[in-house]
Amino acid sequence: MRKMEKSRLLAFSDKYRIYLLFVAVFAVMSLFAPRFFALQNMTSILNAIAMNATVAIGFTVVMICGQLDLSIGAVITFAGVLTMGLEPLLGFPGAIAVAIAGGAFVGLLNGLLVAKAKINSFIVTLGTMTILQGSIYQFSGGNSIGITTPQAFAISDFLGVSLIPLVTPRILIAILLVVAVELFLRRSRAGRNFYLVGGNKNTAWFAGINTDRYQIAAFVISGVTAAVGGICSVLVSTAATLKLGENSLMYVISATIIGGTAMSGGKGGVLRSVIAIFTLEMLYTGIILFGLGNEVKIFFAGLILAYVVLYEAYATYKHDKSLGQRPELMKEIKKRRTASGGA
Amino acid sequence: MNADSRAVRSSSFSRIVNTAGVYGIALLFLVLGLLLQLTGAIGNFLSVQNMLNIVDAVALVGIVAVGMSFVTYSGHYADMSVPTTMGFTGYICIELLRYGFLPAILGALVVGLLIGLLNGFVIGKFKANPIIWTLAVNYVTLGIIRLVWVNKQIYPDLQGSGQAAVALFDSIYRLRFFHLIGLPLVILIILVVVGQFVLTRTSFGVKLKVTGSALRAAKFSGIDVERVILVSFVLAAFTATIAGLAVTSLSRVGAWYNGAGYDFKAVTAIVIGGMTLAGGRGSILGVLGGSLIIGILNNIMTLVGIGTFSQDMVRGAIFIIVVGINAVSLRSLGRDDA
Amino acid sequence: MKRATMILIALALVSLFAAPVFAQSANLKASLAIDTKVLKSADGQLLLAPSTDNRKVPARPASPDALPETNPLHWYDMEWAGWNVTPMNIPQSPADGAIGKKIIMIVHGDHPWTTACILGGKKVADLYKMSFKALSPNWDKDKQDQLIDQAINEKPDMILLIPLDAKGAVQQARKINQAGIPLHMFNTLPDAAALNYSLGWTGPDDFGQFRLLARAWADELQKKNPGSAPIGVAYVQHAPGGSPYFARSFGPISELATYAPRIKTLEKASPTPATFDANTTMQLVSDWLTKYGKDLKGICASDDSAQSLGIFQALEKAGRTDVVVVAAGNSKQGMDLVKDGKLFGITYQTAEGDGGLAVSYAADWFNGKKMPLRQNLAQHIITKADVAGFYPPQW
Repeated sequence: MRKMEKSRLLAFSDKYRIYLLFVAVFAVMSLFAPRFFALQNMTSILNAIAMNATVAIGFTVVMICGQLDLSIGAVITFAGVLTMGLEPLLGFPGAIAVAIAGGAFVGLLNGLLVAKAKINSFIVTLGTMTILQGSIYQFSGGNSIGITTPQAFAISDFLGVSLIPLVTPRILIAILLVVAVELFLRRSRAGRNFYLVGGNKNTAWFAGINTDRYQIAAFVISGVTAAVGGICSVLVSTAATLKLGENSLMYVISATIIGGTAMSGGKGGVLRSVIAIFTLEMLYTGIILFGLGNEVKIFFAGLILAYVVLYEAYATYKHDKSLGQRPELMKEIKKRRTASGGA
Repeated sequence: MNADSRAVRSSSFSRIVNTAGVYGIALLFLVLGLLLQLTGAIGNFLSVQNMLNIVDAVALVGIVAVGMSFVTYSGHYADMSVPTTMGFTGYICIELLRYGFLPAILGALVVGLLIGLLNGFVIGKFKANPIIWTLAVNYVTLGIIRLVWVNKQIYPDLQGSGQAAVALFDSIYRLRFFHLIGLPLVILIILVVVGQFVLTRTSFGVKLKVTGSALRAAKFSGIDVERVILVSFVLAAFTATIAGLAVTSLSRVGAWYNGAGYDFKAVTAIVIGGMTLAGGRGSILGVLGGSLIIGILNNIMTLVGIGTFSQDMVRGAIFIIVVGINAVSLRSLGRDDA
Repeated sequence: MKRATMILIALALVSLFAAPVFAQSANLKASLAIDTKVLKSADGQLLLAPSTDNRKVPARPASPDALPETNPLHWYDMEWAGWNVTPMNIPQSPADGAIGKKIIMIVHGDHPWTTACILGGKKVADLYKMSFKALSPNWDKDKQDQLIDQAINEKPDMILLIPLDAKGAVQQARKINQAGIPLHMFNTLPDAAALNYSLGWTGPDDFGQFRLLARAWADELQKKNPGSAPIGVAYVQHAPGGSPYFARSFGPISELATYAPRIKTLEKASPTPATFDANTTMQLVSDWLTKYGKDLKGICASDDSAQSLGIFQALEKAGRTDVVVVAAGNSKQGMDLVKDGKLFGITYQTAEGDGGLAVSYAADWFNGKKMPLRQNLAQHIITKADVAGFYPPQW
């Protein structure tokens, strides 16, 4: 009886690991970190993760399909630079539309090269990342692009105003996107097909799913969410700096893995990735509130990621080792061996 | 529609590309440079000095790429802990210089080897995802560096008898044979020759290839896969250490950012050189060729006067094109999905 | 008896109300008495050396952008930023002394330079017994915005900011201003509009330093190349977009256009993709030497460490000892190169002094002093003659 409860508890904590971690970090930080459990602090954290959370949505979808999208950082900057750069010509609505289209286009390119030309996604997205970085510099002449008109300030102020406690328009956009995509992935047929394509591409194809289309769609979603993340960031910041998306790639990869989405594809979830980002950011903020420096943050970021990767790998290792074995019989054999004095 | 008919149809272009390989592309660029020189667009392209400049510029990336290519060949993509391994070993070497030049070098090598052992063990035994694991190690190492040395950089600077060790350290990057060939270049050539030999003529090379092509088959055929993977990551860390010492010697400072960017630069060279990320295909000579192509391309672009931002775009485009042609030609010849 | 108690009570009440006032003026008195001239930076120089620059601020031309890049006035808004501002709702100084005040310094990124800068700020803050906290966004603008929000939440007595981005600094300054917190910006120059919301700006006068450096460089170039033939030079630039990118290349270019018209710009570029990488700079300069040969006689670099080391690697390989090289300083590698007679001159840019001056500005403001809108760090060109006085390096 006790063993069954123990293994059920283990299974529960495995599946909902990230949520448990979230609660644990929140509790510890609220209790021990100065000024952590305060409305302004939590709102500030939510604002801080808005961009990466949005980007993580699309990245998770791509990873669920078993691929990797390294170009998200460059797309963030690209969309930001387009928004700020084209605003004088097209106004904000026009520039935003072009930026989103740009992100979708990059996603389409990535998807086609991966699905149709069958080039490894690591390479494809590495290449598009490099091309994008060059184009960004070319387009902006190496300068950051800022807009200091009253309209820009008004938009920035608006995005940062608290509609209800903890929720600003910027945070709301991210929340809506997360909820929409998560529901889509879990509740709709098309959404669940992403998991199938990632889990076993051939089986999915045999089941009649157009795997190419889903892979392309995944990359397009990734491009669009990365673009939206970048756009919101520059609207709040009123300036598109050329290093904008630089840290996002590593942050989003870490969070997605920690959240439980595997590189092999077929499992995981958007909500989990976002909760992981929230958890990590709470941890980092807490570290800073304790008065410790960025180096402590980096150290723990690596340690957590290493732990999660190791844990997952070890669990698979244990599982693979015991494949085909029947634990009850193994125990009998062991009993017999020790009984006969290790002969 | 079978593989053979596809092969017959598209074979000539693909076959040319495949046999010519990366050195064909390199030759193409050299010819381009020569043409530009003959038409007067650029000067002095085919001079000894310029050619030496090209190889000098890519020597460090080449060194890193040679070691990392063993990881790629084994089917484990890349080692993303290279940047901080480079930085960390630089710090260690400078700190130990007070005990002499050789102890410092040995100390750095030991630290690098330990990182390689850690990576190789976790990835080999527990099959952790190589990219994510080495990324995590990269972060942890960065945190350690910044914590231990309190966000400062350190200089190879000793008084009195220690100055000899400092001078030796300084010459790691600056030593020139016959006033022409730098030590990093010599090291690169040695590594390429030895690496190619190991890959093609030793049993380890065969084991590596089988591991890279079919992991399960390798296990069942009695190959100690874990040992093979361990060694490949140790080799990657080894060359990263050498490159790290060279960079630290060049910049005369132990800094955490010394190795920044070398992970992606090395992967680019490896992949352009014809090694497939899936493993089991490619050669060390190809890796050298890949590095050379990047060097020649950069050189031509600067001589022509292409702006630095446009150079980035061109590099990215060439990357995709070369890899794409490679992949497509392989596939149309019926030789697996790259 | 009753009278005595009344007097006692009156005295008690008076002292109750007067105490804070007395305490205030005691605080003010004490902090006015503090002398920052006792502070030294790690290199043995005065932490807060006074600026000896007595140039007059020129009048702003009607439209600087219309002027050619070789005209110094084209760069007016960058070079003379801070001299013409329209203050918006700038808070008044409480004028009650600096002791015990709470200041938060937000820098731009993690780097040994900023470690030294923060150290300098802390030295001054400790002298005035201020509560000092430093935050770093590690080069991420989004993160810097978040740190500003966090800092505003803590309601400090002043925020000291190194803006990561010139244009984006305007909104950052607005936000802090709207929160009613005094703001002082330093080190990197923000867009002129941002200074409307700030108490002021302190930092290195990049343009001024590089005009000085350019003249010394030109004198040496002309000495080494007598006659009237043009002298070709090249510029290794800083990371694109920031003020040093312009100051350290267009500063000399526009200065030499009138000071030494013989000097011609052959190339200017920022090493890519890594701006401060010795290997990449070496590659770039080697290619320049291949392209221009003996026509290239001088190089001006935006960094005296990695960039300069790369430059000298390229020069040594090509066997060129005749090229006159100057750079922005001052790192240990740069000073060593000056000592070895390779770098002709570098600018002195005290990292500790930068942070220290910002905090000192804050302290003076708390003391009620009327502060100038812009205050520059002391300018100096380090050459072989005096380089020994700048060891040990600050970072």
